[in-house]
Amino acid sequence: MTAIPVQPPPIAIPAPPRTTLFLLAPGLLLLFAIFALPLFGLVLESLKQYVPGRVGSAVDAPLTLENYRELATPSFAGVLYETFKLSAAASLAGLLAAFPLAYCIVRRFSPRQRAVCIGLLVMLVLLSMLVRTYALELAFGSVGVARPLFLALGISPTSRWYTETLVAAGLLHAVVPMCTLTLLGTIQNIDPRFCDAAQSLGAPAWKAHLGITVPLALPGLVSAFLIAMTFSISAFVIPMVLGKGRVLFLSNTIYTRFSDVANYPSGAAVSIVMLVISLLVLSLVSLVQRRRGSRS
Amino acid sequence: MTGTAKRLGDRLLGGAMIAMLGLVLAFLVTPLLVTCLLAFDARSFLGPLPPPALSMRWFEKLVSLDYVTTGLATSLKIAVLTTSVDVFIGTAAAVALDRSNFPGRSLVMAVFLSPLIVPAVVIGFALLLFLSRIGIVDGFTRLLCGHIVITLPYVVRTVLASLSGRDRRLTEAALVLGATEHQAFWNITLPLIRSGMVTGAVFAFAVSLDDVAVSMFLTDPSTYTLPVALVSNMRASFDLTIAAAAVLLMAVSAVLIIVLERFVGFDRLLGQGLFRS
Repeated sequence: MTAIPVQPPPIAIPAPPRTTLFLLAPGLLLLFAIFALPLFGLVLESLKQYVPGRVGSAVDAPLTLENYRELATPSFAGVLYETFKLSAAASLAGLLAAFPLAYCIVRRFSPRQRAVCIGLLVMLVLLSMLVRTYALELAFGSVGVARPLFLALGISPTSRWYTETLVAAGLLHAVVPMCTLTLLGTIQNIDPRFCDAAQSLGAPAWKAHLGITVPLALPGLVSAFLIAMTFSISAFVIPMVLGKGRVLFLSNTIYTRFSDVANYPSGAAVSIVMLVISLLVLSLVSLVQRRRGSRS
Repeated sequence: MTGTAKRLGDRLLGGAMIAMLGLVLAFLVTPLLVTCLLAFDARSFLGPLPPPALSMRWFEKLVSLDYVTTGLATSLKIAVLTTSVDVFIGTAAAVALDRSNFPGRSLVMAVFLSPLIVPAVVIGFALLLFLSRIGIVDGFTRLLCGHIVITLPYVVRTVLASLSGRDRRLTEAALVLGATEHQAFWNITLPLIRSGMVTGAVFAFAVSLDDVAVSMFLTDPSTYTLPVALVSNMRASFDLTIAAAAVLLMAVSAVLIIVLERFVGFDRLLGQGLFRS
């Protein structure tokens, strides 16, 4: 990883543009038909007037901003706040757990331990969201195995606070392996001799890490945090199952607008809001990564 | 600060760190172990651990349930079809993006990766609206469309990564030695990017098999995928058949991971920056 990559200069094999076009065409046509057009239709739908009792808007329905104006209510703000609060909490906690873990894997573990740990983390990243959610419900849910333990500690597993924590724990379970794998590369790129030098000059370990390792890893930490945020904000199964309808994320609101009230224009407006939020967070990610790229 | 105090502090910090890592790993692994254990529980109710006796009753009940077998069949059909379409279209696109430097190349690349940045729920809802407007209401077609959109970027990305990581001089050598472009591609380039294609296919298959957010919108009453059926039942009742299903799904992930490790190796996987988004 630390070796300087010797890249052979790219040899331009002149390709007839017709072949390129021929190879690109199926994918581009497909994405245009079942990705770009539907998204465009979604924008259009979000501007259509909602007629109660009707599934979907009429083709010639008048255009209106009513669906967006309707979102400027305390209840929708509550959903937005809940989504962000729990996502940020899970992402921060995920970083706090992932950073020392990644550090130990890179710098402390033997090659064998490292292989086992990385294998486990890859497994946890690939683990089905459904299995993850169900396993957490079974272990820590309101009727789960840990129920007697929580009751003994005086925690009510049916309180709203507990449900929120459970949703955050679900996100955390997905975020920790994701962040750890992202941070492995970051930590590998930090020269361990800086820290050794500080410690041999008399700094205690915590001071050396806080003053050297953490600042050097900061861009990596920021992008890991933002990646965790984008994942958490658009999570769907975790809040739906662990939140039991009491904790609603933006994604769950879209689904209820579709399945429970069949208000498609409003669902479309929520979708557009969610899309814009995800794009904003992701553009922050690429901003951080570009700045890191230009500095090194 | 004296030397001994410093050393003591470092040792305490090290101990606290190990304890914390232990807790984190326990948090990650315990729920999965509990699920595996309870899936073999012989009791008919959810009781405290450990189960007094083990049995296969939940697995027997699982395979006898209609919604599970129907859902699993649909899921597998969709996942296999999706993965095949992805590997063809995605590899073709990646090869095209790699071999020529036409204007707008980075834009086209961004287009191919863009489904990754749109939340799955939004894709599902948009597709539902669009497909019902143009008159496609068949669940299978709708699910197939949705799954192709969300999985195609994985194949494009991994194949592109392995294309740019390969030694281009090998292809050039083949051309110099008299191979036609076709021969050079089929005999040199394609074997070199096989690991990228396998990684992409495994990811596409895993994502397709696990998706709920897109599929929830696109199912119809008779065509649904296993995860959608399981989620609906998870909300309705608390039954350990789902633990048995979870164990089976974990086994599928394990198989996929072994495939990845065999064909690619985890080091390569990380080196390609797969999880850096």
